[in-house]
Amino acid sequence: MTAPATAGGSGPSRAGVSPGRTVSPRVNTDDPVEQAKAAIEYCFEQGWTDGLPVVPATRADIEACLATTDHPADEIIGSQPHLDRSVTVAQAAANAIMAGCKPEYFPVVLAAWRAVTQERSSRGAWQSTSGPAPLIVVNGPVRARLGINYAGGVFGPGFRANATIARAIGLIVRNGYGVRPQELEQATQGLPGRWSVCFGENEEMSPWEPLSAVGGVAAGTDAVSAMLIRTVEYVDNRSTDSAEAVLHDFADTLARMGAYVGGPHSSGGLVLGPEHAQLLGNAGYSRADVQDWLFSRAVRDPADMVAAGKGEHAGDGPFRMLPSAAAIPIIVAGAANAAMSMVFRPFGWAAWAGRSVPVEWKEQ
Amino acid sequence: MRTEETVVFDSIIDPTVGPAAALERDRPTLAARPGSLSGLRLGLLANTKRNAEQFLADVGRELAEQYGMVQVLAVKKPNIVETAPAEMMAELTEQCDIVVAGVGDCGSCSASAVADGILLEQAGIPAAVIISDAFTVSANAMADLRHAPGYAYVTTPHPVANLTDQGVQARAAEAVPAIVALLTEPVMATAASA
Repeated sequence: MTAPATAGGSGPSRAGVSPGRTVSPRVNTDDPVEQAKAAIEYCFEQGWTDGLPVVPATRADIEACLATTDHPADEIIGSQPHLDRSVTVAQAAANAIMAGCKPEYFPVVLAAWRAVTQERSSRGAWQSTSGPAPLIVVNGPVRARLGINYAGGVFGPGFRANATIARAIGLIVRNGYGVRPQELEQATQGLPGRWSVCFGENEEMSPWEPLSAVGGVAAGTDAVSAMLIRTVEYVDNRSTDSAEAVLHDFADTLARMGAYVGGPHSSGGLVLGPEHAQLLGNAGYSRADVQDWLFSRAVRDPADMVAAGKGEHAGDGPFRMLPSAAAIPIIVAGAANAAMSMVFRPFGWAAWAGRSVPVEWKEQ
Repeated sequence: MRTEETVVFDSIIDPTVGPAAALERDRPTLAARPGSLSGLRLGLLANTKRNAEQFLADVGRELAEQYGMVQVLAVKKPNIVETAPAEMMAELTEQCDIVVAGVGDCGSCSASAVADGILLEQAGIPAAVIISDAFTVSANAMADLRHAPGYAYVTTPHPVANLTDQGVQARAAEAVPAIVALLTEPVMATAASA
């Protein structure tokens, strides 16, 4: 037998260790803007950013965030045991500020984090070659209070709350879990806007109950729902007033083979523009009716699947591309100015756990 | 007149500082290597990636036929992200002298395969972890995170998932000499090569 290796070696320093003296290069100290830029540059140099500038967070910022919630600073809100990393409320606050959040957004950030991390698919999401993005949907009066866009241009950009709440989740993953691209994160291509998809549901123009009510939270209550998605793809159909024709168009996109990664089925959901939603609602379709229609029609001929080299599970009859009617999440968002919608592609085989998270405001 | 001087940014919060790490900070001790594999009990620890089980089975057969090992256990861990469950680890460490693990053929599973290997080594079981060569960065990142920079594993060309049965068999045979070397030669590799 040969001797085992036991050399010392020092791990990365973290775990409550203060970073020490943090001194900038020489800057023009007559100009506060130069100092601010130096502070931003300092954050880049530490590897704390997603490639865009961040807002340096101070103790006062953390206190301002903590003042919005009853959750204590040191409460652990997420863990990756295999990475030996956990994240606290205070750390989430630091990353939210860095993302550009106002302190009053913080309860929504915490709810979004919980909504994302309770999804089973999030366990492997951050390191995956699929590189999935959180899709964060906000319901309730908080949309108006914080200016969370639910109308024109919901996928962004242009709205601070939408952009920064989503970005905060990405910075918590990066800085809290230490999962960085081309290191532990192995996204093959990623997707546009990975950390920027957060919007309100357009409850005002939806023919149906809020998504959060589907997720078990009473309508009118502030709540966040989240899933992980691999992309969105548009369905532009301004050509018909037939609900069934539009559903047929959705089913065709939902049944696209490229989104099928093998196994028992693919996955898909819809962010309906208000015009499509109202066309369906006016034709008497409930959300469940739409789900049933799409589940039964989003099918492929097994021969197509074999031709694409994906025939392993195809069987004989029409192959259902979606897991079940209930697992086709349907959200309404956007402006009522053109009849277009988005199909989105949940990561993994489960679309959504179906549990929305109420936003917890500080007890007065 | 410009005043140029350095500025101290001590008031900026470090967003990476979280709760104390649970893992010990010491470099893990790797298991002592046997001089020969002959007669030793072999365990295979597969993940759920396509072709992983077959790859390991083919490696196992080669190790039995060419090196006289006795395969006693083949398990598949349920989750590609996390290390093998404690019961499965206990089974491996109780019943086997040597474990071959893999195949690290995705972002999560390459890292977790390295973590499995290090845990087995710490339990005194020499382990050879097989990683697809597209994922050495995440494998190395996990080794660093487990305080074992330079932890040595065996690579096989990417991809593995789309290989035919014959392709897997050929690839497994190619990997065997490196696996044998890793399991029998002195473990010096963890110091400088990170």
